[in-house]
Amino acid sequence: MQIESQVQPAVCRLNGISKSFGDIQALRDVTFEVRKGEFLAIVGENGAGKSTAMGVLFGLLEPDAGHITFAGERRKLKSARDAIDAGFGMVHQHFKLYPDLTVLENVLVGYEGANGFGLVPFQERRKAVASLIREFEFTLDLDRKISDMPVDARQQVEIVKMLFRGASVVILDEPTAVLTPQECVTLYAMLKRLCAQGKSVVLITHKLGEVMDHSERVLVMRHGALVAERKTSETDQGELAELMVGRQIETVEKISRIQPQVVASLQGVSVQSESDKPRLDGVSIELRAGEIFGVAGVTGNGQKELVNAVMGLEKNAAGQIIFQGRDIGGLTVAERRQIGIGYMAEDRMTIGLATRGTIAENLIAGREGSSPKGAVREGHSGFSSYGFLHWRQIRDHAQRLVKNYDIRTPSAMQRVGNLSGGNQQKVVVARELSAAPKLLVVENPCWGVDVGAISFIHRQILQLAETGAAILLISNDLEELFELSDRVGVMFEGRMNRVFDRSELDAFAVGAAMSGDEEQRP
Amino acid sequence: MIRSRYASIIAPLAIIFLGVMILLAIPQTRPVVEGFLNGAFGGRNHFNLFSTLARFSILLGMAMSVLVSFRAGLLNIGGEGQLVLGGLTAALVGVYLPGPPLYVSVVALLAAMTAGASWAVLAGLLDRVAKVPLLIGSLLLNYPASYLASYFVSHPFRDVASGATQTHRIMTEARLPRFPGTILDYGILLIGATAILVIALEKTSVFGYRVRMQGYSYGFARTSGFPTGALYYRTLIISGMIAGMTGYTAVFGLNQRYIDGMLTIPLYTWTAIAAVLLAAIIPLITPVTAFFFAMLATGAVGMERSADIPREIGQIVQAVIVLYLAGVGGKMLSGGTKEDH
Repeated sequence: MQIESQVQPAVCRLNGISKSFGDIQALRDVTFEVRKGEFLAIVGENGAGKSTAMGVLFGLLEPDAGHITFAGERRKLKSARDAIDAGFGMVHQHFKLYPDLTVLENVLVGYEGANGFGLVPFQERRKAVASLIREFEFTLDLDRKISDMPVDARQQVEIVKMLFRGASVVILDEPTAVLTPQECVTLYAMLKRLCAQGKSVVLITHKLGEVMDHSERVLVMRHGALVAERKTSETDQGELAELMVGRQIETVEKISRIQPQVVASLQGVSVQSESDKPRLDGVSIELRAGEIFGVAGVTGNGQKELVNAVMGLEKNAAGQIIFQGRDIGGLTVAERRQIGIGYMAEDRMTIGLATRGTIAENLIAGREGSSPKGAVREGHSGFSSYGFLHWRQIRDHAQRLVKNYDIRTPSAMQRVGNLSGGNQQKVVVARELSAAPKLLVVENPCWGVDVGAISFIHRQILQLAETGAAILLISNDLEELFELSDRVGVMFEGRMNRVFDRSELDAFAVGAAMSGDEEQRP
Repeated sequence: MIRSRYASIIAPLAIIFLGVMILLAIPQTRPVVEGFLNGAFGGRNHFNLFSTLARFSILLGMAMSVLVSFRAGLLNIGGEGQLVLGGLTAALVGVYLPGPPLYVSVVALLAAMTAGASWAVLAGLLDRVAKVPLLIGSLLLNYPASYLASYFVSHPFRDVASGATQTHRIMTEARLPRFPGTILDYGILLIGATAILVIALEKTSVFGYRVRMQGYSYGFARTSGFPTGALYYRTLIISGMIAGMTGYTAVFGLNQRYIDGMLTIPLYTWTAIAAVLLAAIIPLITPVTAFFFAMLATGAVGMERSADIPREIGQIVQAVIVLYLAGVGGKMLSGGTKEDH
């Protein structure tokens, strides 16, 4: 695993780091170094130990064994503060920003440089931050509140914050998950510039394409161990994927079987907001049986409102939603679920699942009893009668789904919160698909899910479409949208900006539409 | 999480048990423990055991009231107001309603439950309509309830002849009978049955399932199509009804009248909240922790008698437990969304 040739000196080195949480060994004997000025990528499935390794490096977790050296000197990191002082900066997948504070305040937090009277020299600090922003050609308004800013700008704030604190090793956890292709290009150009300045960049990701395009060296982690180290120029995506999973990955083949009949159609669906700009602005689409309609767009451009309007979670939706020839505008969530609309929510930790509930409990949600008004199955459904649960049926059902959907768990009575991300998502998939929906709304089904589970989930979605269901797939992952969708609509500022057919899909055209370019340019 | 959850229950119990054993082994401290045990369980004809049980009865009732709402993720800490209004309403019905005893008794019970439930629903309305968080609204509603009760028993409905701030005695035939030869009344059966019902239904009914899941995650309940609004109010109504019923048993059993402060000064509701949190909001464990706190209070009295240790020590122990729970309980209530990291 040694790589010869002219090697830059190591900035820091992890030596034989092990860490376990309870019975789970998250890291076993991990040794690697970060070299000066390099672009290092760390890839691995969810739960492979990437985040734990970074937690150790960033002083958030104390290793059980092993130690870290900086410039050859052994040092103990007790907190993130130590790590920051040692020259580390980290951009977490979920930004650690105060939404109600301004850009400047967020950058300064913890590093205000207060004088002896406890006063912050704002003018001076403002100049310093502004010059840093200029240096990297960011366009950030220092006095804007974080909550008013788009995601890519928030990420820039995180990066500025890190650089302001004098980071020489920059760690980014899945930085492109929320960006358009154009924004990714900007980000990587910026990161390369950091490398050129002699700073080291550590990229944690599962997007192998980006790893191949931008990194110089790749570390592959699996089950808490470092399984391979490659020079990017000497490997390829296929090899990395295999190393990550530890076996061959089957690719998912899409067969389009679109049928003529329209399952659902949205006509001028809008959601007003308090300000003058509607959050969802006159969206009209028709979904045919067997069709997967992808929705692309930067987060916060109306996708959430669209989903909520279809599911009945949005009270103020205007316009018509027709499902199987019937206007469902007035139906509750429960009624919509009963007539065959399913929903795989993006945020499985708080919405898609009740993580403190068991697998069995989660698998019957929405079908646990009669509807509130008893619309369809009066008093009796499989899982309860007369208001009492049939635990045997519930357990049997759970065991069947655990088996059919390959949910890896010791028992169906296990808490969902104890499962890995991929298995949690399989619980959601199992619950929604076992209800045999006619229309399924899917939001970012593979967010935080490991590679093996991704292809499983994709196959399930495709199979459901083949049986004649219509699928509305909202995703931030363009690769996923392109792979699965028959058509892709791009949302921008609440409007369906453009709709692409499968044949005309192109990352840059879609990316342009995501940032607001219309089909006919002026 | 599971691990730490069990640890958070078992570790303190083990430490307490060990401590008691050590204290029993040392000759100088032996009388203290004996005094405590005698205070909680002993006395002539086990008199003290029955006062522990009488206290346990009210604590269990309030613990069930708290459990129902906490299980649903609703931080209704207004049990005190609901209890007081239940007790006061029951007393007024018991004193002033003419009619056969059984009729008076049943009307008093229903009125008490209605009073408790409406106070809980008021807190709910404040939350949902006026956007006053339930935690704050329900807490603040405790004060008008207990001052209102104080006013009623000091002025319009006061038994002036008795000299104390209390109502007249309720109709003698309508009161809850006592177990022969003890001070313990049949109220404990009513509350015991309620507790069994609550614990059983939580696990076996669709309603219990929905409430539990909604308590785990409100967003989940909404997207699963649960009738979240109805669940919210029904839970509060049940919680308030149980509190009101507990007030009824205290008035119709223990005291046979409403005495100012009888339901607030012993801190029944707050102790019940501590009991529920100590039980990690697990229904089956809640009665055990409620009994533990009841024992702690009566045992402390016995300890004072025999070993001259002030009974306030018992309250200090309870306060320490509450402090401990403030750490653990905060995590339990704030939802387990970040557990797996």
